[in-house]
Amino acid sequence: MRNIRHPLIFIILLLYAGTSFGQSKALPINLSLFNQATALPFTSFFSTPVHPGIQIGTEFNYSTKAGSRFFQTANLSYFYHNYLAQGVGLSSELGYESRLKNGLAITGLLGLGYMHTFTTSEEFTFSDGTYHKQNDKGNSRLFPSLSLDLGYYLNPSRDSSPKVFVRYQSWAEYPYSPGFIPAMTHVNLHFGIKFFLHKNDHSHE
Amino acid sequence: MNRTLTVLLAILLLSSCREGDDIAPAFYTCGFTFSDSSAENENNSKYQNLIDELVSNGVVGMTMSVYQPQSGIWIGGSGKADLNNNIHMKPCNISRVGSTVKMFTATTVLMLAQEGKLELDDPIADYLQADVINRIDNADKATIKQLLQHSSGIFNYIQNLKFQTASLNDLIKEWTPDELLSYAEGKRAYFKPGTDVRYSNTGYILLGMLIEQIEGKPFYEVFDEKIFRPLNLSMTQFAAKNPVPDGIVRGYIDLYSKLQVVESTYFSGWDYFTADGGLISNPKDLNTFFQALMGHKLLNAEYLDQMLTWKSPKEPDPEFFPIAYGLGIFRIETPSGIAYMHSGDAIGYYANMLYFPDDSTSIAYAANSNYGKIDEFVSTKDATEHIISALKD
Repeated sequence: MRNIRHPLIFIILLLYAGTSFGQSKALPINLSLFNQATALPFTSFFSTPVHPGIQIGTEFNYSTKAGSRFFQTANLSYFYHNYLAQGVGLSSELGYESRLKNGLAITGLLGLGYMHTFTTSEEFTFSDGTYHKQNDKGNSRLFPSLSLDLGYYLNPSRDSSPKVFVRYQSWAEYPYSPGFIPAMTHVNLHFGIKFFLHKNDHSHE
Repeated sequence: MNRTLTVLLAILLLSSCREGDDIAPAFYTCGFTFSDSSAENENNSKYQNLIDELVSNGVVGMTMSVYQPQSGIWIGGSGKADLNNNIHMKPCNISRVGSTVKMFTATTVLMLAQEGKLELDDPIADYLQADVINRIDNADKATIKQLLQHSSGIFNYIQNLKFQTASLNDLIKEWTPDELLSYAEGKRAYFKPGTDVRYSNTGYILLGMLIEQIEGKPFYEVFDEKIFRPLNLSMTQFAAKNPVPDGIVRGYIDLYSKLQVVESTYFSGWDYFTADGGLISNPKDLNTFFQALMGHKLLNAEYLDQMLTWKSPKEPDPEFFPIAYGLGIFRIETPSGIAYMHSGDAIGYYANMLYFPDDSTSIAYAANSNYGKIDEFVSTKDATEHIISALKD
């Protein structure tokens, strides 16, 4: 991670890798745009100003039953919080989805991830008794998360139906500011779509 | 799809790292008509060495003034006013001095009492509208004096975690008093009025409203008329008039305690319009104010005595000096003697002013950096003790 100088390169590499994996195994792609906010969990829904983020990932099922499934996700995300920080995160979540025949689905997800955050403005580092401009090497973070989402399968009768969803993700950033703010809580409001690049006849939704 | 995503990410990342403004040195020129004899002060080297030492430890820049009756006033600066443009700090440079404004707010309220425009033991509810009073627990019972002394028990809005995360979410938002008061709304008071003391910014928002109600103009204009102009505090102003005025030094935060700082000059918007913060000044002006206050140039003996009426918290803070609360002022017991003081924080700025009644020495200093490791050099108990002992002993 330390050798990757620009988050864009890292994101593009993983984006293509994730897409290829999705094609060969017929795993779905989850793609969402989100608004990130520093906020206490479940105290705000959509806040301004908008701090944009994007997440791409996939998921695979551990078990499926009629109307429900237990699954795991793998995600790559990026957010840009104006003036405060930008972060690239890798995470995985355990999820449980309950799906109705009319296409509506409710999902809960519990996750843990690694995030590398960077400043959004020039950083000056103290050395040899004075401050110097220095490229930001970023900060390592753990980020546990709890998400609830409401989705709709556009073609409820098909296993490989695309699904649109709104996801409320509450997460914490730890450590944050040692001795000052031990952990920072965030809320991401996702608007996303789950889709298969190829028709998936063997998946169980 | 991948192309669209790539373009979107590229747009986000290419605009992701903000550089500091290009500012010419002339921006930091002081309009300062002060005959500076600091170089002739017998303690010039001692004082300058102290702020040089603090800067060599990691404080970005510092200004300081020391007044002693026998040697007059000394002013000095060290470090940088602006890292991006490599501009040195000058002794006269202005910066945000945060809650030190509370001493100005308290002095103004006491001056109004001295003029017979209010009684300190009046309930604040007698002056402010019911829709303000009814939303804050204890506001219907607290007196003006209790608000001044932080003995009203009214909840401090800054302690509301919803406010703390909301202020980080929009670092350049300019908050109205009404928005700030909403974070104290519905919060239980700490204690019954008059039974203890606990710091409350909310109380000082109400006191700013009180000044405006009585004088019929913004409280900071009353500061101008009653304090800034009479004392010729030419480098002092309130942020509401111009939040980032010409000449203000850049502020920096060490948010992650690594002595890696980023600029925060535009971040301190929550106290631009309320009387609990928002003051912009320099140590020379702060020192002049403190000396004038203690010298009865603003308050007569009766009202200065009221200001210096002390009340100790039931549960002292073990990480700070033994402290007692006056009206907009504190008394601390340091190894170098009793000091009256008030400090102030803003995001990227710290200031402190102290007065030692045993020898009438006063000290004021300001740093354009804070949080993280930098606090260990300027604002903790150990840092304050080190600064005081280096100057006084």
